[in-house]
Amino acid sequence: MLPEGAEDRLLANANVIADACKGSGVQQWDLIGFQSYGHQLDIEAGKITMAAGGGEGGFGVRVVDEGRFGFAHLVDVSGAQRAVEQAVAIAKKSPSIEGFVLPSEQPAEQVSGRMDRAVLDLSPEDLLEQADGLLSEVKSLDERAVVTGGGVGVSATAGCLMNSEGILSTGMTTSHGIGLQVSLEVDGELTSSYQGQSSRSLLPEMPACVARAVHWAQVTQNPLRVESEAVDTPVLMTSEGFSPLFSMVVPSAMTGEKMVRKESFWADKMGQQVLNPNLSVHDNGLLEGGMSSGSRDGEGVPRRRQNLIENGRLNGMLWSTRDAAQQVAEGRIEAAHSTGSASSGGHQSPPSTGCTELFLTSSEQGKSMDDLLKHMGDGYLVNSVMGAHTANPSSGDFSVTTSSILKVEGGEIVGSLKQAGFSGNLAKALNGAVVLGADVRRQGSYSSGSMHLPDVLMMDGLRINPA
Amino acid sequence: MVMAAKQTDGHHPTVGRYLDQEKVRKALDAARSYGASYAEVRVVALTESTVAMRDGILEKAIPGQELGMTLRILADGAWGVHSTTDLASLSDQIESTTRLAKAVAKRRAASERPKALAEVPIIQDETHWRSKLDVRHTELDQKMELMNDIYRGASGHDDIVSVRTGWSDEHIHTELMTTEGMDRVWSFQRSLIHGMVTARREGEVVSYRTRHGGQGGLEVIQEADLVQLGEEAQRAALRLLNAERAPSGKLPLIADKDLTGVYIHEALGHPCEADLVAAGDSCLDGKLGQKIGNELVTVVDDPTMMGGYGAYPVDDEGVNTREKVLIKNGVLTEYLNHRETAHHFGVEPNGGARAQDGLHHPLVRMSNTMIHGGTHADIDELMEDVQYGVYACGTRGGQVDTGRGSFQFAAQEAWLIENGELTRPLKDVSVSGLTLEILKNVDGLTRDASLASPGFCGKGQTVPVGDGGPVMRISEALVG
Repeated sequence: MLPEGAEDRLLANANVIADACKGSGVQQWDLIGFQSYGHQLDIEAGKITMAAGGGEGGFGVRVVDEGRFGFAHLVDVSGAQRAVEQAVAIAKKSPSIEGFVLPSEQPAEQVSGRMDRAVLDLSPEDLLEQADGLLSEVKSLDERAVVTGGGVGVSATAGCLMNSEGILSTGMTTSHGIGLQVSLEVDGELTSSYQGQSSRSLLPEMPACVARAVHWAQVTQNPLRVESEAVDTPVLMTSEGFSPLFSMVVPSAMTGEKMVRKESFWADKMGQQVLNPNLSVHDNGLLEGGMSSGSRDGEGVPRRRQNLIENGRLNGMLWSTRDAAQQVAEGRIEAAHSTGSASSGGHQSPPSTGCTELFLTSSEQGKSMDDLLKHMGDGYLVNSVMGAHTANPSSGDFSVTTSSILKVEGGEIVGSLKQAGFSGNLAKALNGAVVLGADVRRQGSYSSGSMHLPDVLMMDGLRINPA
Repeated sequence: MVMAAKQTDGHHPTVGRYLDQEKVRKALDAARSYGASYAEVRVVALTESTVAMRDGILEKAIPGQELGMTLRILADGAWGVHSTTDLASLSDQIESTTRLAKAVAKRRAASERPKALAEVPIIQDETHWRSKLDVRHTELDQKMELMNDIYRGASGHDDIVSVRTGWSDEHIHTELMTTEGMDRVWSFQRSLIHGMVTARREGEVVSYRTRHGGQGGLEVIQEADLVQLGEEAQRAALRLLNAERAPSGKLPLIADKDLTGVYIHEALGHPCEADLVAAGDSCLDGKLGQKIGNELVTVVDDPTMMGGYGAYPVDDEGVNTREKVLIKNGVLTEYLNHRETAHHFGVEPNGGARAQDGLHHPLVRMSNTMIHGGTHADIDELMEDVQYGVYACGTRGGQVDTGRGSFQFAAQEAWLIENGELTRPLKDVSVSGLTLEILKNVDGLTRDASLASPGFCGKGQTVPVGDGGPVMRISEALVG
């Protein structure tokens, strides 16, 4: 999949930009570059509809002069000189941040499991066979089920990061992903479920997400006839349903910048209990095989594992080099240093601050789904929500809709609802009575990084409004 | 805004073109020789700039040049696609991409129809929507000054803890060549300015977003009263500090133009996208010609609406654009189509193919989607009959499950309506419903209709869109 010498060419092109930086006379500079290649299949209406492949890449260059920074991005390095000139011109108009200097070389741990040769060796024909298998599996699980959307994809990416202070980091990553929208139409009643899975290494031949998609399309059939009346109730969210809300609200609340600017609902709460005492949150930038982990962050600072909330108490924040310098310079905090949390969303923007591999854990033994249902007694089980991106990260308030919701009475599922409103404040709900499931699954994210989440039962502060 | 369209005889100078036409023609001929029934090469060059400021101070300014090319090949009734930033690699990809398409075709069951494209006029031309003030020539200082107008309007109150402002502009240049002989070049610009005001009082943190923009250059931004935009955003953020949580239940809802636009985009626009209909993932499948809404409701999607954030001169398959009437007096009249879905449904393509950039293939997408005005004079007339309901304003986005026809959208702020009067401010109001029920519940529209704030639409790919309409009343919606 990856052309011969791709890493070398990437580095050679990066050096062209580095030379332009050196020639510009700027004090400091850094740059990131990547080149990725991949194959992808689209599935619609129960069949493979398109096979796609290709490669893309680019470079982002940042210059720093007396604490002022400028940035530009480009694809074709013949424009390196112009891009650097643009970045320098912008730096001159930017405010000077006292103490902002780019990081120097420090030893960084190697993180394994980021590349799998088996993924590299996958051909488009292999993917076609895998997609055939997925479609057959869905039919074997339920003859009526149709994969109405989704696909299968693999990619390999060569990346590099270098700066004027001696940091040079290169590496390869691979990824293999599957996503399926399964629909089930019975007597004119259509239900559907989207489930996905991705990994740096080769996924199993039949990932668990396939059966989950069919299961949720099945169990939401034949909705109950219910009165439309809002109720304050316990809600058990599957990892898949919880992740979009959690990733929209929690990671940004833990960035140092938002904390000290008092734009986080956890501002001024360092050392205080902000979650149920059985809950902890940590970010593991060194996670083996993580989709967002690695030896270094987007500025070249070594990644680390950091505890952000321990036994419910807030005790950490996420910082990048620039954010830390700026908030100290502006007097909002006495001292702050990079926590290796600069995330680079791609070559088109400078590094920002974010999490890598965020885990929500409990000091108590995780429960099975059956035990969680029994513990809840009466309430609702929610597997996906619409509108999680409209949640308010400043307050934790959300008001979303779900069509993937089951009513639970006496610890038993009694049926589905066609549609329901679902609202509350996630920060407050997690500070109430919370019980976690045992099965932790990696989920994607609305923000940076990956979310490693079990099923989550929240007993307080949530409202369900059946349609 | 000046629209300059120039028909040519198919001969273009190479100056100003990213594609080497001779090489591309050879590559397309090669695709035919490998068995392709159709092939196209589309290249998009983006010259873009984003700026972010906080509290009047520059945070970042990012100029950029992006170039991408997508080769799309239809062989044996199936698609193979190759996307790359390396334009020189085109000829190396023809055979393998054709082979991919054929491998997909082999998996088609005998009962399934091969994919094909509806015929369209084959055009060789250049169309350039020239901005009055080319945004590529706008200096950073001028952008910062305009952004600071929003900041000046929004700041100056003890409870306002930050004012973030942003700028985004792009010049989009597209070239398309096909085996049918299509050879089109088009370009246009978009400009956007926005602000986010955050207020805090006694641990309560709220934020309010404002946006202005459209298709065009610097003149689009200059036409707005940016200080006033900032002042309105400040007032809204301060109101939200005192707002109560919304009541939950099925209630009458009045939506402002912003929210009406998002409603029509989510609830109707997406289910009208013919690729979703053809995939069996739309609640509007089989409903063409049927009455699905109140007869008050007429909805159009129109990329030729100059100035709208979703405007474009030519679609990404080289098809000329036009207004599409999706619903006429409550009757579903037309889906949004690209060439493949137009062939599937036996209709003419209507210019609905859009790709995010040069590295993505075209999907069926909306452009500027609007509900037409009705008969009510103003919002007061709409509220007269409402005993207990909600007036919701501004959008925080929405989402739809097109197959089930269920949707959700969220308002930036809202008021309770009691006995025909606005009473208490509300926060975190969301509205959900089922497309086929809610369209029938639209029972009042003000006469004046226009595009509202610019927005973005995600469907695997992100594209800019315009939405809007009049102020709208829905007799019953699920509010939470």
